[in-house]
Amino acid sequence: MFFHIVLERNMQLHPRHFGPHLRDKLVAKLMRDVEGTCSGRHGFVVAITGVEDIGKGLIREGTGFVTFPVKYQCVVFRPFKGEILEAVVTMVNKMGFFAEAGPVQIFVSNHLIPDDMEFQSGDMPNYTTSDGSVKIQRDSEVRLKIIGTRVDATEIFCIGTIKDDFLGVINDPGAAA
Amino acid sequence: MSGEEEENAAELKIGDEFLKAKCLMNCEVALILDRKYEQLQQMSEDPTNQVSQVFEKSLQYVKRFSRYKNPDAVRQVREYPSSLKQLVSIDNNLIMMILCVLGNLCPETVEEAIAMVPSIRSKGRAHDDEAIEKMLNDLAMIKKFE
Repeated sequence: MFFHIVLERNMQLHPRHFGPHLRDKLVAKLMRDVEGTCSGRHGFVVAITGVEDIGKGLIREGTGFVTFPVKYQCVVFRPFKGEILEAVVTMVNKMGFFAEAGPVQIFVSNHLIPDDMEFQSGDMPNYTTSDGSVKIQRDSEVRLKIIGTRVDATEIFCIGTIKDDFLGVINDPGAAA
Repeated sequence: MSGEEEENAAELKIGDEFLKAKCLMNCEVALILDRKYEQLQQMSEDPTNQVSQVFEKSLQYVKRFSRYKNPDAVRQVREYPSSLKQLVSIDNNLIMMILCVLGNLCPETVEEAIAMVPSIRSKGRAHDDEAIEKMLNDLAMIKKFE
């Protein structure tokens, strides 16, 4: 889910930036440093929407760099276990399929795809029900539930399922064409 | 973190910092990111170089999965909890979280809504089927008249 959250960060600024535009320099650096990063705790930082407060700078001994505590508001995307969301299928293989919900990758193993769906290989690999009415292939939109997350320092990876009530394909690009 | 193991969005158990934060519907994120993208466009010729991959992917995603396109409709959904408060005895942020999930997924039936957010009627929250149905209808109305 997306959140609007206030985060804090200690920013180090080189003395050459000191002057009337110190604040602008600090904010520009904050955006460069933070936007697009991912932490296990807060998820993906999508965009900074505002700076709430810049605290008093502290000169670091020996280097001349100054550390400013900066409080900023940002939009983050953080997937949670148990969350249900919609995603776009990016790759299908016999192990299962990968889907993307914004910045996060979600893998759905074939054990977590309903049993009546069979893998069909070919140039457009897909999972299809025996009567052919439902098909999961690249670019399909699916609704899935996140059942596990693996978090490391710079990435979040999710395991999902579509083997539950009200989950599965919501839009099949093949059917529309 | 020991709390990491405990988190479960189905029961609205998420980290403290997220409980205090404001959750956003996809359509709201689309409005925010679109605005920001426009600003970047004004500042430089080629904004695609400026934005991160995370930004780009998020923008694509929220545009694809936005249920409400019109900012007025988004506002109506956002203000909706004030009328909901009599029905549920949980704090505003949790209501908003339920509403965000419902606003993102737009379930049509009460069973579907309960499958999406099981905590919508867990014990202690006097949320009967009728109340849920009313809520779904109200949300559908906002969507219809946007």
